[in-house]
Amino acid sequence: MRDLTNAVWIELRKATRSRMPLFTALGFLVLAFGLAFLMFIYKYPTFARSIGLISAKANLAGGAATWQYYLGLLGQAIAVVGILLFRLLESWVFGREFADGTLKDLLAVPVARATILLAKFLVVVLWSLLLTVMLFLVSLLLGAAIGLSQGTTEVFWHGTMTLAVAACLVIVDVFPFAFFASVGRGYLLPMGVTLLVLVLGNVVAIAGWGTYFPWAVPALYAELTGKGNLEAASYLLVLITGLAGLAGTYLWWRFADQNR
Amino acid sequence: MNLPIETVDLGKRYGKVIAVKHLSLRVAQGEIYAFLGLNGAGKTTTIRMLLGMIKPTWGSAQVLQTRVRPGSREPWAAVGYLVETPHSYQELTVFENLEVARRLHPGTAPEAVSRIIERMGLAAYADRRAGTLSLGNAQRLGLAKALLHAPRLLFLDEPANGLDPAGIVEIRELLLELTREQGVTVFLASHILAEVSRLAQRIGIIHQGCLLQELDVDELEQNRRRRLLLRARDLEAARLALATAGYPAALLRDGTLELTDLRSLEHPDDIASLLVQAGVPPTQVLVEEEDLEQYFLRLVGMNGGQNHA
Repeated sequence: MRDLTNAVWIELRKATRSRMPLFTALGFLVLAFGLAFLMFIYKYPTFARSIGLISAKANLAGGAATWQYYLGLLGQAIAVVGILLFRLLESWVFGREFADGTLKDLLAVPVARATILLAKFLVVVLWSLLLTVMLFLVSLLLGAAIGLSQGTTEVFWHGTMTLAVAACLVIVDVFPFAFFASVGRGYLLPMGVTLLVLVLGNVVAIAGWGTYFPWAVPALYAELTGKGNLEAASYLLVLITGLAGLAGTYLWWRFADQNR
Repeated sequence: MNLPIETVDLGKRYGKVIAVKHLSLRVAQGEIYAFLGLNGAGKTTTIRMLLGMIKPTWGSAQVLQTRVRPGSREPWAAVGYLVETPHSYQELTVFENLEVARRLHPGTAPEAVSRIIERMGLAAYADRRAGTLSLGNAQRLGLAKALLHAPRLLFLDEPANGLDPAGIVEIRELLLELTREQGVTVFLASHILAEVSRLAQRIGIIHQGCLLQELDVDELEQNRRRRLLLRARDLEAARLALATAGYPAALLRDGTLELTDLRSLEHPDDIASLLVQAGVPPTQVLVEEEDLEQYFLRLVGMNGGQNHA
């Protein structure tokens, strides 16, 4: 336990001293303001058109300036855009040791590699949760400022739960990126896999197999919310993906030759 | 016998390339053992195998009486190391980098950090970010990380890299003090024989993955080649006169005669008289001792430009 506390302290110190908290927080703030901007337009379409915020041809059909719609969008935003930032975070926490050449100082030490890895995963999860909470709170403030309607307790409760579940699915979903960062000894491989997953996700979705593609599951979950349910298999696939990411990362750190 | 490092037939292959082969080393307690070789000779691969960072293809290694296994927690509490270029967390200060290293060695007292900062002459830089350090100070920080937890065994890969002459002397004194006063064992990898000959008691020479020779530093003196170099106006006549008198001389490309037999090395005056009597007086007589660089290059099969004509 003492080793784990020390390892978590180390990871937190490295994270807080870097610019990554600022960058990821900025990323999520841009997301929050983007969504709020959209709601503002739904709320005041004529005004937005008159001051040139949107083109006269903008298609506003399908949206509404309600809390329900807004919170639904928030869940999707985490699942579609948030996942990219979480992957970045995961790749940085693991890949930096390789890219910066600091890995060797973590290898021949009397603290188990599993402990060091666990600390890294814990910090990534904590960091991701904090970003989600920040996104949620800022969005609530912006929503209230815009004056969205139909804010019943049920709507808030439901929206919060959707966001929380979507965030958890995303967090588990990105564990394999720790493995990609380790195998690729830096940031390039996770970036490449991210692009590949984007392309594959689209192809799979068009083919109608999206519910069985673990990296599409959070988005499908957020989109379906209130309208239907995903199969248990989808959630199971996300869980398996996450566990495979944890196991793969551990096995790589434990058994692969480390020349960096 | 208490051997901090012992390897048996240790070897590593990467695909078709054999980086290290048949390496059997025994390093005694309190000894400074220098592992000498050119770049790419297999020094760093060996150190990484000894530190459990790389799995050996053949053989095994014991460090502090513990069999080295990649990913194991033993015996690293008593081992310090500096492998290749020292890297630190650039955004953390010198103090914080050492605090990270301290927490990776549970049981090391918090005061150890300030103590090692003082010892390594980093006090003025303690609150500076590691990313702003000069090469020499980054090297000092790397050494500080290796020494922080008062290890019994040190692996140092090119420890003098980036240090100025005063720094090199300082580190040499420090290592000698650690071995003498605390019985610390040091395994040092380097490609500079002149540097390690001042520090190490024993030297192992590695070339293309093979241990060519292991010798005590005293033997180094005896093994170095001496030669007598002669110049004369008529080199061919001089060579003939020497050959007739039983002194085989070789004509070097730069127009010098080289004699390597013990008789002429011990009595260069006889050679001079002989040449004067033969009517080809020498214009230069010089007994030259092979320097460490030449000795090393000769051992690894590169004779350092001493080509015969």
